[in-house]
Amino acid sequence: MSDARITGSGTASATATASRRGFVEGLLANRLIVLIVLLAVLCVAISIGSSNFYSVENIVSILRQSSMVLIVAIGMTLLLISGEVDLSVGASMAFTGAVAMSVMNATSSLLLGILAGLAFAGGVGLFNGVVVTFLRVNSLIATIATLMILQGGVFIYTREAVQNHHQIPTFPELGAGYVLGLPVPVVVAAVCFIVAWVALAKTTFGRRLFAVGGNPKAARLSGLRATRLKIAAFVITGLLVGVTGLILASLMNAGQPTAGRGFELIVVASVILGGTSLYGGEGTLLGTFLGVLILKVIDNAIIILGLNQDLQIVVPGVVIIIAVYLDQVRKKRHAT
Amino acid sequence: MNSIVKALLAGTALTVAAASTATAQEIPQRVGYIVNYATHEWYQNVIGGMQDRADELGIELEVLDANLDIARQVSAAEDFMARGVDVMIITPVNEEGVVPILRRARANGTPVVLEGNPVVGMDTLVAICDYDTGYHAGVAAGEYANEHLGGEARVMNVGLPLLSATVLRSQGFMDGIRTQVPDAELVHDLDGGGNPDRSLEVSMAALAADADINVIYGINDSSAIGGLQAWRANNFPEDGLLTVGTGGEGLAFINEMEQDNSYELEAAMFPEKVGFTAMDAAVSMYNGEELPEHIVSPTTTLDTESWRQYYDYDGSSRAINWETVNALVPPAECMMYAADLEG
Repeated sequence: MSDARITGSGTASATATASRRGFVEGLLANRLIVLIVLLAVLCVAISIGSSNFYSVENIVSILRQSSMVLIVAIGMTLLLISGEVDLSVGASMAFTGAVAMSVMNATSSLLLGILAGLAFAGGVGLFNGVVVTFLRVNSLIATIATLMILQGGVFIYTREAVQNHHQIPTFPELGAGYVLGLPVPVVVAAVCFIVAWVALAKTTFGRRLFAVGGNPKAARLSGLRATRLKIAAFVITGLLVGVTGLILASLMNAGQPTAGRGFELIVVASVILGGTSLYGGEGTLLGTFLGVLILKVIDNAIIILGLNQDLQIVVPGVVIIIAVYLDQVRKKRHAT
Repeated sequence: MNSIVKALLAGTALTVAAASTATAQEIPQRVGYIVNYATHEWYQNVIGGMQDRADELGIELEVLDANLDIARQVSAAEDFMARGVDVMIITPVNEEGVVPILRRARANGTPVVLEGNPVVGMDTLVAICDYDTGYHAGVAAGEYANEHLGGEARVMNVGLPLLSATVLRSQGFMDGIRTQVPDAELVHDLDGGGNPDRSLEVSMAALAADADINVIYGINDSSAIGGLQAWRANNFPEDGLLTVGTGGEGLAFINEMEQDNSYELEAAMFPEKVGFTAMDAAVSMYNGEELPEHIVSPTTTLDTESWRQYYDYDGSSRAINWETVNALVPPAECMMYAADLEG
């Protein structure tokens, strides 16, 4: 009896433990919920340390900083889903600002400057796509090479920051202006997010991107044109980098060739933290949004709590390791 | 006051002595400069000033870029020595890494002039006084605050705590401003990384936490402008704000000072003059002259009018006015050195 009771109790305990483990695993499997909880905990903890955290100014500041990362992270999410990555985004962003500012100085036309910046950044995306798909160079290596070309090339293009000599009145509005009470970069990021979300969730382009990244062999056998899809993802990422480069140039009132160093790592960290798999075929834009927000809230906390600001560089590094490890664990579990 | 006069007299004597010996000096044929990071605007202008002086003296100047890589700096030095340059000028990538270069150069009989940062075992260093530069800008900012800001100074320092040189600038600025505004407060002490985008980002966060400042100080022009752009991104008015940059390394400060805005003061460090002075020191070293361990390159604080005395600007490029810059008299020694910093 006692044995039975013990056994019974042991079974109940084991069942409860298994149930709890299942609940925790289920929770962990739902990355979005984890991210929302993490973000909420962070916000509460930071607000205890600083009463300014919930001020309108601070929230606007976080959103503005998040928006620039988010715009590029949207493209990076598409790329990672397709099984590729682009590490040249920071260098391309800096070069874009220099090109756009030069064209504006030469033509006194905001439109021509914007078009030149977008054409340049889109061209970089196309170049990356062609190198990766036609030359079959691994995207990690290819885009590191592009990064080097761009970082060196921008100094051949200009030895110093391209200053604002055009004084076009609307130019500062790209980075510092407001629409309906929201900073322009936030509105731009929101529009990019909605368009990309629709493209990813509701169109054949999105479904094919998941298919190409998830199982390239099967996708090829089923007739999907992986090359075109991947080049499209690279070009879209490039164009989004162009948008961010224009915003940054506007915010700094100059085309800064040294800008954007390390930007690619923040973007990749945000996307991976958001649950997009490094192995392709999985990911959500909502996760990316939350990943960006978490990293930027941590950045903000480091400043307003007066912590050592070198942590702003350390944190994304730690995040990348943890997120990739969790991704690997999850992959192994799925495999078994 | 007495010490300042003494310093000025000593500096003048040094300059006069250098000028008088220059006529009797032998001129080296080839000088090699190993710059630590040639793509930075500061060093481009250092090279420009060095080249100007080399052209005047009929010296062939060759520049190699270490690109922040000490291994490249070492191999560049070996390359220069193998090719028999008469003198080397080096901006160290890091202090320890340059020590073996100095040892090898001494054994090889190649004189070395250092620029920027001191190294154990060096013969002579050409550099500005960072603390003094910040201090004098702080004094000017304090005077401005008394005149235009109601005698109040609440400072956002967009600094770079990683480097002792930039810490000295920030400390000098605060000490200087407090000579005029004793209650001047350091509201934000930020790490802008010395680059504009990081400065912008940290300044935005800092201003969101507390925007009650009226002075932005940047340890270089990029930092000052990053802080100022963060202010502008918040749509705050620039009336009642003073922005002070440091360096004058490129066109950015001129571009700002040409507009009617808050960028009123620049702690100019004249990189061209640093290059010019380093070349003169190289000639003196070649002639075996005794040089002070630290040859100070002059700095001064510019306002929206006085900068035009030092630079000609045609709308897209600048040219240094050697006559006015060479007329500046540097102090014989700095008010404070890195070794004097606490911690």
